[in-house]
Amino acid sequence: MVLTGRERDERMEPIVIVENLMKSYKKRKTKEVIHAVKDVSFTVNRGEILGLLGPNGAGKTTTIKMICGLLTPDSGLITINGLNNQKKRLASLRQISAVLEGNRNLYWRLTVRENLEYFAGNRGESRKDIAERVDDLLQKFHLKGKENELVNRLSRGMQQKLAIAVAMLADSEVILLDEPTLGLDVETGYEVRELLREIVKTYNRTIIISTHDMDVVQDLCERTVIINKGQIVTDDKVANLLRLFDVRSYKVTLGGLLSDRQQELLEQKFPSYGYSPDTFQSILEVDLEQSEEIYELFDILKIETTPVESIDRKTINFEQIFMKIVKGDMSDVLVQSS
Amino acid sequence: MYWFNLLKANTKKEYLELKRYLPNTLALVLTFYIIFLGMFFGIQIIGDPTTQDINIQFAIVNYIFWFLAMMVINNIGWQITNEAMRGTLEQLCMSPMGLWKIMLSRLIASTVINFILIIALLYLSMFTSGQWLNVDVLAIKPIFVLTIISMFGLGFIIAGISIILKQVQAFLQILQFILAGLTFVPLSVAPMLAFFPFVKGVDLVRDVMIDGVTLSQIAAVDFMILAFNAVFYFIGGLLFFFFCERVAMNKGLLAHY
Ligand SMILES: Nc1ncnc2c1ncn2[C@@H]1O[C@H](COP(=O)(O)OP(=O)(O)OP(=O)(O)O)[C@@H](O)[C@H]1O
Ligand SMILES: [Mg+2]
Repeated sequence: MVLTGRERDERMEPIVIVENLMKSYKKRKTKEVIHAVKDVSFTVNRGEILGLLGPNGAGKTTTIKMICGLLTPDSGLITINGLNNQKKRLASLRQISAVLEGNRNLYWRLTVRENLEYFAGNRGESRKDIAERVDDLLQKFHLKGKENELVNRLSRGMQQKLAIAVAMLADSEVILLDEPTLGLDVETGYEVRELLREIVKTYNRTIIISTHDMDVVQDLCERTVIINKGQIVTDDKVANLLRLFDVRSYKVTLGGLLSDRQQELLEQKFPSYGYSPDTFQSILEVDLEQSEEIYELFDILKIETTPVESIDRKTINFEQIFMKIVKGDMSDVLVQSS
Repeated sequence: MYWFNLLKANTKKEYLELKRYLPNTLALVLTFYIIFLGMFFGIQIIGDPTTQDINIQFAIVNYIFWFLAMMVINNIGWQITNEAMRGTLEQLCMSPMGLWKIMLSRLIASTVINFILIIALLYLSMFTSGQWLNVDVLAIKPIFVLTIISMFGLGFIIAGISIILKQVQAFLQILQFILAGLTFVPLSVAPMLAFFPFVKGVDLVRDVMIDGVTLSQIAAVDFMILAFNAVFYFIGGLLFFFFCERVAMNKGLLAHY
């Protein structure tokens, strides 16, 4: 199933254009060919935050590394701010910076400040030129008190924040983050998300985030590209997807049991209904196709004047939408919703 | 300016690394100091008194070049292997300056730092042993610079190999001895070695220091061989490095994990 809903805002100007990207790896031992990315095309607009989603091995990291100029595509074209990233590799690298998978982006034997300065130096910037920006970043990333601490003494979350700070310091228009919240505990993950949100607000950069973390998507991304087995399955605004998959799913708490007659009627009207009987508090779950159907539900309940204690409309989260798109299976959404 | 900042950043990093691994650095310095002293005193005792000074100088020149070659060439191989495993190599590859410039900065930085170190050790040894050698620094300078350039070329070749091969550790161990062979074997024994990197240079430096050959006495041919080697190895090494970089980007080898 491919969803198309590319309601591009025409005023927006694409800064990253990926066209017909292909990449396959040959396994060293078995000589087996893995098609990691198959004909992937998408664009990212200036100032946009794009979520790149997909299950393990979908080809997210491969795509990101090709955009970063670390991997040469077998075929296809990547344009960054008007520059072909193969023909003008170094010039296009000025436009981007990245935090790659895992905690592998820093020198563990250097301090926080030394890392920032070293990476800036490698881009040709002098310590003096960046001093102000370094201080600003240390402040914003709550690393001020740690600036002279060796990186290997920092917590995983701090390291991740520093890696993002290093990417920010590069002053590039596009920032790529590969799984920025992976391996972080709930609290640190939240902190990193807040930080990213802050960055988006203050610095106006274009960000591509690859993630498994649906909170990241729902919190930060305006649009997602979902890839599975090397191919794009969805490219749409997060809000659109949420709307598209929004089900009218209700959870009704009853102060008693349903009669056989009621259950029979429910079976006819709402075949997918769920019922967990309990003498004092039964739970009835029903999915409606149209909102008016709620009246029919009430008609059924009214037969025995079953006491209704509460009615909750269940909300669908992005994780469930993601599962559904990747698995191509609608029932997933309904069964797993809670 | 970009270049200068790049060089500064990498020199600082090289220095910081020596500082952070201070026990290692001190052990290394101490080892070399002891070896130097051993040479000064040892040759004095065993050697034929008429050729004593010559022997000392011969050993010292060889030793300095071997030390430098090892510190510079081996080091770049180790650095790349480590950084590929840790993942920082990919960050370096994303520098808009180009990886080769970062590598060249590191080669220059580690040569300068290690050169200062070894010269300091040399003078310290002379001071402790009371044997003051007449090291004609000015005369050997042009030879030295050309030799170092071909050494950088070799550094790029090692860097390239380290990028595409995952298991270079064993190779790097052996390389130390190859480098020792290149610096210690006199050209008179194997004339064809003149076209190997830095062998000719070491030989000429020995001529200057031991036979008192002055700059003007060195045959133009010798200088041409030296200059040819410098250009050939540097450009060849660089091209090989570019080739390896491209292979690595095609096969996804920039991160060895
Ligand atoms: N260097 C490599 N050599 C061989 N195969 C590779 C290499 N890198 C990735 N692959 C394979 O390519 C496919 C896509 O991998 P990729 O890392 O891009 O996926 P991903 O979406 O980032 O997954 P994850 O969520 O696990 O990070 C996988 O099947 C992977 O095994
Ligand atoms: Mg990945």
